Amino acid sequence: MAEIVFLVIAVLGLGSALGTVLARNLVHAALYLIAFFFAVACMFVMLEAEFLAAIQVLVYIGAVAILLMFGIMLTRNVQGDDTTTIPNAWKVPGLFAGFCLFVVLVFGINNAVSPSSRGKWATSTNRPSIVADAQGIEAAWMTERRDSINDMARMVGYQLMTRYALAFETAGLLLTAALVGAIALAHREEEDPAPGRPAGTAASADAQNGPRAGGAPAASTSRR
Amino acid sequence: MNSEIPLNWFLYFAAASFSIGLVGVLLRRNAIVVLMAIEIMLNAANINLVAFWRYGTPPPGAGPLAGVILALFVITIAAAEVAVGIGLILLCYRRWNAADVDRYDSLSG
Repeated sequence: MAEIVFLVIAVLGLGSALGTVLARNLVHAALYLIAFFFAVACMFVMLEAEFLAAIQVLVYIGAVAILLMFGIMLTRNVQGDDTTTIPNAWKVPGLFAGFCLFVVLVFGINNAVSPSSRGKWATSTNRPSIVADAQGIEAAWMTERRDSINDMARMVGYQLMTRYALAFETAGLLLTAALVGAIALAHREEEDPAPGRPAGTAASADAQNGPRAGGAPAASTSRR
Repeated sequence: MNSEIPLNWFLYFAAASFSIGLVGVLLRRNAIVVLMAIEIMLNAANINLVAFWRYGTPPPGAGPLAGVILALFVITIAAAEVAVGIGLILLCYRRWNAADVDRYDSLSG
């Protein structure tokens, strides 16, 4: 039963990944990408990481895909633009490179050297049990694993605050830097409009003044 | 709970999506689609992390959630990367009036 569910999700996910890569219309590509993110979230659920699946839906579908959609709308390459076509000269080498990478990865999956304490990765089907065996003996990690699967949100928070505190702070610093950087990149250098003047008049005044040195050309100003 | 799904299947799915993402990065010329293909590759890596977390046994001293936490950090980095990437693409679009990665060649001799 679980196998059938997995195969359905995998086929849907790979199909939408192909759609993302091949779709001419960029909005369609973004929608295919959302479907792929959802398939990945389903994979996380099948791997018993439901919290991560929720994060995947929130962050990827809720934020990243919408941000990409904004990018598509702002660059106006929705359809018919020559950037959406795939140049013929690159088609065969690109597909060949992707196929070669897939073959190498499959070779690696099937020939991986496993840790000595367990069998080959390639043949393992059973997940390690998280409940005590018949004798009631369970390793310490089993208890932790059971807690973390049954109550993942709490355990993730606890782990982030104790074991991974430094990485957590660094991630926060990185997010702040990315926020500041994104604002600094997107901010247009222009003189402040006079107080009380609506923004629209300021923009048209800019367009009349023509392009400033180092600034964007006037065409992009009037496009807003 | 013992699942019947072999670990291999998750790995094959991740390998296939990673290859599709690589093909997208190589073939497409639109900068935003290149960004999307990079997201596909990051997601494929995340599936591998979580699959090995669930199917493996943690070494002594490691936390119970190593793979999940690493996947969470990858998601964080990807979000930051997309925010900065979209800002850069918009800046380049304003300057060259195209979202075509082949046109951004000011640094090529």
